[in-house]
Amino acid sequence: MESLRSRNLEAANLRRQNLASHILTAPALLWLLLFFLVPYLIVLIYSFLTPDIYDIRFIFSLEAYRQVSAGTYLKPFFLSFRLAVFTTLACLVLGFPVAYLIARARERVQNTLLVMIIIPFWTNLIIRIFSWRIFLASEGVLNDVLLRLHLIRSPLEIMRTDFAVILVMVYVYLPYMILPLYSVLQKLDFTLLHAAMDLGANEVKAFFRITLPLAMEGIFAGSLLVFIPALGAYLIPQLVGNQQTLYVGQVITYKIKNIPRNWPMASALSFTLLLLVALLLFLMYLAWRRRVLTKRGEYE
Amino acid sequence: MADIRLENLSKDFDGFLAVDDVNLTIRSGELFSFLGPSGCGKTTLLRMIAGFEIPRGGRIMIGDQDISELPPYKRPVNTIFQNYSLFPHMTVYDNVAFALRIRKSPKSQIRDQVRNMLALVKMGDQAQKYPAQISGGQKQRIAIARALINNPKVLLLDEPLAALDLKLRQHMLIELMNIHDAVGITFIYVTHDQGEAMSISDRVAVMENGRIVQHGPPDDIYERPASIFSAYFIGETNLITGEVMGIEDEYVQLRCPMGNGEFFEIDSTVHFAPTLGRQLTVSLRPEKIAISRSKPRAQEDFNILRGTIEDILYLGTHTQYIVKVGELRFRVFSQHKRVYFDEKALDWEEPVWLFWHDTDSWLIDEVPESGSPSLSHDVTNVYQRWVKRQQSNGI
Repeated sequence: MESLRSRNLEAANLRRQNLASHILTAPALLWLLLFFLVPYLIVLIYSFLTPDIYDIRFIFSLEAYRQVSAGTYLKPFFLSFRLAVFTTLACLVLGFPVAYLIARARERVQNTLLVMIIIPFWTNLIIRIFSWRIFLASEGVLNDVLLRLHLIRSPLEIMRTDFAVILVMVYVYLPYMILPLYSVLQKLDFTLLHAAMDLGANEVKAFFRITLPLAMEGIFAGSLLVFIPALGAYLIPQLVGNQQTLYVGQVITYKIKNIPRNWPMASALSFTLLLLVALLLFLMYLAWRRRVLTKRGEYE
Repeated sequence: MADIRLENLSKDFDGFLAVDDVNLTIRSGELFSFLGPSGCGKTTLLRMIAGFEIPRGGRIMIGDQDISELPPYKRPVNTIFQNYSLFPHMTVYDNVAFALRIRKSPKSQIRDQVRNMLALVKMGDQAQKYPAQISGGQKQRIAIARALINNPKVLLLDEPLAALDLKLRQHMLIELMNIHDAVGITFIYVTHDQGEAMSISDRVAVMENGRIVQHGPPDDIYERPASIFSAYFIGETNLITGEVMGIEDEYVQLRCPMGNGEFFEIDSTVHFAPTLGRQLTVSLRPEKIAISRSKPRAQEDFNILRGTIEDILYLGTHTQYIVKVGELRFRVFSQHKRVYFDEKALDWEEPVWLFWHDTDSWLIDEVPESGSPSLSHDVTNVYQRWVKRQQSNGI
């Protein structure tokens, strides 16, 4: 009897808690529904319609997806993918030592360094990109200094190159890599490295067998935070890239901006990009789950 | 043989001497402990032997090899860390196999050795678990297996039992001794727990302020403390200061002020050559003192004092009496088997006789610093004050 009553009480408590959590999460859910799910549904619907010069006609069509699957837009997809991979790798290689050093610094120094990483966020992205344009231009600050120092004879043409795109991409996305890396490295017990060295591992082996595996969660998180936005990059290629290299983001914009407009094509490309990201996330989730479960020893 | 020799070893941190000119030989196969309060330099000493700290001066020799400058991964020593430092992303098996894999031993050999090691520490059935899934005592065993598989000449143990509860600590202590017997290599054990050090060690070195103040077998240190610090830090003791009044062969007579203008005399054997009039301190272990309501019959070779019971603490295995003699307070331990012989248990405020054999008063050629009372109601208090002083000195 006693246990039955306490179980009833428990159930009632649980119901109350559920109700409370529903009420608390409702605004966020509503927000996501209205401004994320509904727009994406519209995009999905548009992608199955027929283009008109300015607008669309409500006639079902698979033409856009036919073109996507025929590989017409393979090149921009490939370029975007390559850009995202390069950006992620560069951020990882550059960000890891920075995150490591911050994590090993004294606490007061850590906070100062973290603030310095975050400060660029205080300035609008477009302003920062334009600063890079001024800095990199043929008559810009960089060339001016190098010319005056007689390090070069003619100005370097960096602006409007693929290199400029990578450079600015890495600049913009680096903090998104450093912060999650820092958060795992800061929790890393550095006596584990001593233990590894005690057992015969030199610094390099200790890094690859201890630090790196234990930082994997941060590497996963940071890479996602950089890779996904980099895949859809539009602003940076548009403002500093060369106009022969068209990334998916730019192609989508042109389909809407240029006359005749092609809303269904733009929608289909957007949706394909979304599917790619979703697929990637799913694969990473599988890898993640395997890792976590292995750690708990549920896989034998 | 691979004795370890510490020669003029010192280490400083920003000008603070953590280890100060230590000279010591640890014999091959010995279980040797460094014992001292936190900040005494014992862990720094261990970290220098392991290779995590580079000495400022002096050498560390293992046999004929100078290892002072070698990186940790080239030293024939392994460490049991205070919090075990097991690799959380590896199974028990992989943790133990780590050193062999780094050395690129053949797979079959790794398997056999890991199995043997896990059997030695009685963890054979836990090989596939992760550190987060096993208990503290089990982690301890894995840490030992992981270190021993590397075949070190010396095993360093840094407060290995500090994180375990009392029962487990006592159990692991015996296990450690068994493992030491089984593998036969040198163990160097660092602890602040005198009980651990006393029970496990062949020899103990007591450290204070970066120096070794005394080293020897545990009973030697307990029965014959070389300094007031040794006497205080290991076990409990009564410290009585007095002036040498007479010397006769190996006997010394001390005149001790009671604090109220009166004096009593203590007879003691002596192991050094004092001069008349010199101030000395007697260390008298509480369990050496007998307490009784009636005046003891045997008086030859005994010191006998009259006092009043001020406090009684029942402690299970024994009872502790605080007995006031003049203004001095004596701490006395009495085994309970004696209780049954007494018709009536001793009571608060009761006048009693204290007596002990002359050979049980141990003379130390040192006087407590001014400010610290020669006899205190609460020895722990004195120790805490001592620790505080160390801290205010910047440790």
